[in-house]
Amino acid sequence: MKKLLIFFFIITGLRATAQQTEGVVTYQRNQDWLKILSQLSYLTLDQKERMKSTYKNYEGFKTPMKLYFNADQSLYANEDEYWKSEDGRWSQRLEDYIIRRDFKKETKSEIIEMIGKTYIIEDSLQTPQWKVLNQLKDIAGHICMKAETTDPIKQQKIVAWFAQDIPVSAGPEQYFGLPGLILELDINDGSVLVTATRVEMKDVSKELATTKKTKGKKIKTADYDKLIKDHIQTSIKSQENPYWTMRY
Amino acid sequence: MKKLLLLLLLTVCYHVTFAQQSGRIAIRGSIIDTSKAILPGATVMLLTPKDSALVNYGRTNDKGIFEFRNVKRAPYILKVSYVGFLPLQVEVNPDNGEVVDLGTLAIKPIQKELLEIVVKTARAPLSIRGDTIEYNAASFKVPPGSTVEELLRKLPGMQVDQDGNIKAQGENVTKMTVDGKTFFGSDPKLATKNLPAEAISKVQVFNDKTEASKTTGIDDGKREKTVNLELKESHRKGGFGKVTAGIGTKDRYQLRGNYNRFNTKEQMSVIGFANNINQTGLSFDDYQDFRGSQSFNWNDQGDFGFNGGGYIVFGDDNGIGVPISGGSSNRGFSKNYAGGGNYNYDTKNTKLSSNYFFNQTGQTFDTDLTKQTSLLNGAFRTEEKSFRNTLGNNHRASARFEQNLDSLNTLVVVGNFRANNGNERLGSTQNFFQEDGKGPPSSQTTLNNQNKYTGIQLATTAIYRHKFHKKGRNFAASLSYNINDTDGSGNQQSNSRYFTDTTAGGTSQIRLNQDNVTNSLRTELKSSLDYIEPLSKTMSWETFYNFSLRTDKVDRDVFDRTDQGMVRNVSLSRYYTNDFTYNRIGTSVRYNNKGLTLSGGLAGMWFHQAGKFAADQTGSPFTSVGRNFFSFVPNATAYYNMKNKRVNLNYNVDVRQPSTSDLQPVIDNSNPRFIREGNPDLLPQLTHRLSGGFGVFDPGSFVNVYFNLNYGYNINQIVYNQTINSLLVTTTRPVNIDGGTNVGSYFNFGFPLKKTKATLNMYTSINLGKNPTFINNVPNNTTNNNYNAGVSLDLTPSEKFTLYPNFNWNFTDTRYSVNTAQNLKIYNYRYGADMNIQMPAGIFFNARMNYQIYKNPRFGFTQQLPILNLSFYKLFLKDKKAEVRVTAYDIFNKNQGITQSSYQNIVQTEQVQTLAQYFMLSFSYNVRGLKSQMRRNNGF
Repeated sequence: MKKLLIFFFIITGLRATAQQTEGVVTYQRNQDWLKILSQLSYLTLDQKERMKSTYKNYEGFKTPMKLYFNADQSLYANEDEYWKSEDGRWSQRLEDYIIRRDFKKETKSEIIEMIGKTYIIEDSLQTPQWKVLNQLKDIAGHICMKAETTDPIKQQKIVAWFAQDIPVSAGPEQYFGLPGLILELDINDGSVLVTATRVEMKDVSKELATTKKTKGKKIKTADYDKLIKDHIQTSIKSQENPYWTMRY
Repeated sequence: MKKLLLLLLLTVCYHVTFAQQSGRIAIRGSIIDTSKAILPGATVMLLTPKDSALVNYGRTNDKGIFEFRNVKRAPYILKVSYVGFLPLQVEVNPDNGEVVDLGTLAIKPIQKELLEIVVKTARAPLSIRGDTIEYNAASFKVPPGSTVEELLRKLPGMQVDQDGNIKAQGENVTKMTVDGKTFFGSDPKLATKNLPAEAISKVQVFNDKTEASKTTGIDDGKREKTVNLELKESHRKGGFGKVTAGIGTKDRYQLRGNYNRFNTKEQMSVIGFANNINQTGLSFDDYQDFRGSQSFNWNDQGDFGFNGGGYIVFGDDNGIGVPISGGSSNRGFSKNYAGGGNYNYDTKNTKLSSNYFFNQTGQTFDTDLTKQTSLLNGAFRTEEKSFRNTLGNNHRASARFEQNLDSLNTLVVVGNFRANNGNERLGSTQNFFQEDGKGPPSSQTTLNNQNKYTGIQLATTAIYRHKFHKKGRNFAASLSYNINDTDGSGNQQSNSRYFTDTTAGGTSQIRLNQDNVTNSLRTELKSSLDYIEPLSKTMSWETFYNFSLRTDKVDRDVFDRTDQGMVRNVSLSRYYTNDFTYNRIGTSVRYNNKGLTLSGGLAGMWFHQAGKFAADQTGSPFTSVGRNFFSFVPNATAYYNMKNKRVNLNYNVDVRQPSTSDLQPVIDNSNPRFIREGNPDLLPQLTHRLSGGFGVFDPGSFVNVYFNLNYGYNINQIVYNQTINSLLVTTTRPVNIDGGTNVGSYFNFGFPLKKTKATLNMYTSINLGKNPTFINNVPNNTTNNNYNAGVSLDLTPSEKFTLYPNFNWNFTDTRYSVNTAQNLKIYNYRYGADMNIQMPAGIFFNARMNYQIYKNPRFGFTQQLPILNLSFYKLFLKDKKAEVRVTAYDIFNKNQGITQSSYQNIVQTEQVQTLAQYFMLSFSYNVRGLKSQMRRNNGF
């Protein structure tokens, strides 16, 4: 966000028609296990291809997510703590995942469950290094531009589509810091795809202010990153998929 | 942001404020559109020229002006983006000045139809690369089988005239490339008329330099309108296959191969194998390669309602699907031949699969059996040597069709067909000993049977599912029709000699020489309805109805071969028909919220049986069997899923219908010392089952604990009554009896001793069974208590060495209430290990040891069998596509298929001569590469 400091914005008076900068986005997060599994280095081509051919008609695991945002803050979490089947007859507990960001104070406060434990990460914000590309597409009625980055810890290729007309730097999962609100996030060619299904402009100061007490282990970003790195290494070494017990 | 505001305040005097910072510059300009109107609120980004990394961004003010202050002096790309306009990129190369003024920059609107059709309607990304516009062709729907030409017609900004000439943005397209290559010569029409639209993922339109300027390197300034077609990644058709061939000592061999071709929609495969090393079916991997996307299909079960479709079980419906065997069978010797083909077609809404599979299995069993039968007082022992030879041929064909009629309606039709035939020869000598005596046998029976059969089985099901607009309201209906038609014929000869029968001067003999012909036909029509109504967000209500009409028809003629020729045996010949009408209606309520699922329900089950039988069709007089049976079937389930923990509790009533062979009033005297009779009065068996489980898995420490306890109480349990006469001829007949119970428990505990290097897993299970039966009409309770415990270790200290030891101890304690003197204990121990070593020169070594100990102190039986298999293999060729392997199977030549078992009033030990020591050299080739099996597969 330091770059934002250097950045200069001439405001000799914002126009009355300026875009609204607060609201709520509903995303659908689709986790494609087949794609995740077919990237595991310890599986042979034969095993991967067999998996692809056997399960080619299967769809991913879909969960609805919510992002509350205004110009300075954002809150991203599961829409419901439990996943429910379409007919409502089955439900499953979802892992804790509450991501809060304050772009003004440059802080984050995250509650993330992984490897069976809940961690509370409170630390300063570090903006991903984005590349902005020349592609446009429409997501939930907003024309978005493409940007790319990589996750250095999980070695993932990240593609984000940000709205040209919502000048907010918030976004889903761990991503933010673009000139517009991120409406679609693609992790590793669709392994996880988070797509906005509805964008609603309204006052969300109440939702942004709510806090829910959660027990967990407090940890700093650097330690958390190390934890992830170790877990991935250990799992791959013992030929297990690290993402059964960790968010992709 | 506070600092930002501060900076904002300084806007007016920016020239002065930062003027002294020579390493820093300001970049400014203003944005207008092509009609010179100013554009406030446009996004302006500073990117690095090298990799488009975002350095800084901002927006134009209400006068359309932007300014970046205090940015590093370096070249940039300035990128302007605004809704409805083509993004603009301007190179910024700062000179010596403090300020780079880019002046007024005009941005061009995106052609309205491009924006409306491509971006808004087709929801396709639009890529702009300089002057290249790229469409995602997959977003434009063309009918299947269309050519690229038809696809181009659909694309905005493109025109294709009647002759196939293409125009893009009003200009003639002079060049057409596929994946950047000129594919079809210079005429673009060749490509568009010949390529299928389905193969294309992207269409790019751009101005390319002329061929002349490309070859000379001199830019003549001329540009050709070029269209590039990018092929779909997945459409690049694929094919793969593998083959294994091996030859060994003692004429052992194996041959196995499959080949597959696929594209995005279709999968085709052929598979075949032949061997004499007891591999009777497909391995799981081979099955998946063969069936592809149709390997597993849930929801093909047409029996709705609780008990997960298990509400009605017929014992003899098996064997209709493609056979899968996990490894080689440890009984007898077999020769196996199989082959088949499979075709799948999958689209989002239509899924079609069909396959044909043939297999032939010829088996020989050379068996030694010792059997102890408890009587009211005392017991007798049977020692049997038998030789059995079977040959079976199966032709299987199946088809499955699934169609999403629309977003709310789905239809699934499944058909499975099997035609089989085969024969069996059995020769056997049985010696009977009174008590445990070691003396000469009291009687001896030899038999020599031959049987042949041909049959067809057909199972078809159609399921229709409808979702209502109200979320959670669902309806389903199913209809099934099954046929099993089997014709068998046989000849049986036996001779029983009773050495101790003094009435007829020392030895009496009973000879039997009979021919039999049995035609049996079973048809079944089934239908089910199911309706689910959501009562609230957390409650739903299900109602179901099941109907089945089953008809059994058995016509058995038995002839005695006598000196006068064939004489029909009236007491053994039977004509029998039975109509079974089954109805069940039930309802249940289900609560589901926050990981807790509770459900409870009740069904009423009713059936009517109308049977009749006589010695033949003309049937005078027919004996009729007609009964009604009614029972309530309750069901309750609780399931709770918490963080790293889960609990489940379940109560249900299993209903098991008697099998056709148990019902038919036919006397099977194929073993004259063990005669089986059917019982047309048999009622369904009800089992009240209560079970609960608790599981914990800590993903952090990898500790897992699982505990399960279950209890079952039987009503109308189907047991086989034994009547043993003074000649030691056993007659069994199925009857219903109440009061049998079973208590079972299972406990598993696993944890890593050292992460990634060593994991320990321990388990124990206890099963206490009490089974009532009648022995010579006296009720007896057999208590069968089985105790099992095991330990397994996964040692994976390095990439070059892995070891998997495992130990198992099993102990069975059998007690008889009528004759405690016959109580006995059976012990089975197994100590095994699996070891893998990677050796120099890319050679791998695998050793598998299985040391088995069988003990039965009362029989004085002890066997210790060390079975050791070794193999060396080497992977070679590019991508490890080939493997050479040397296998030594059962090095000590000790394998003898032993099984010890006890049931009812019988304890037996069986030894079947089976595949023992042989050596084999084999070669495998897999297009997709082979793997060294250093580690066990953990699943994924």
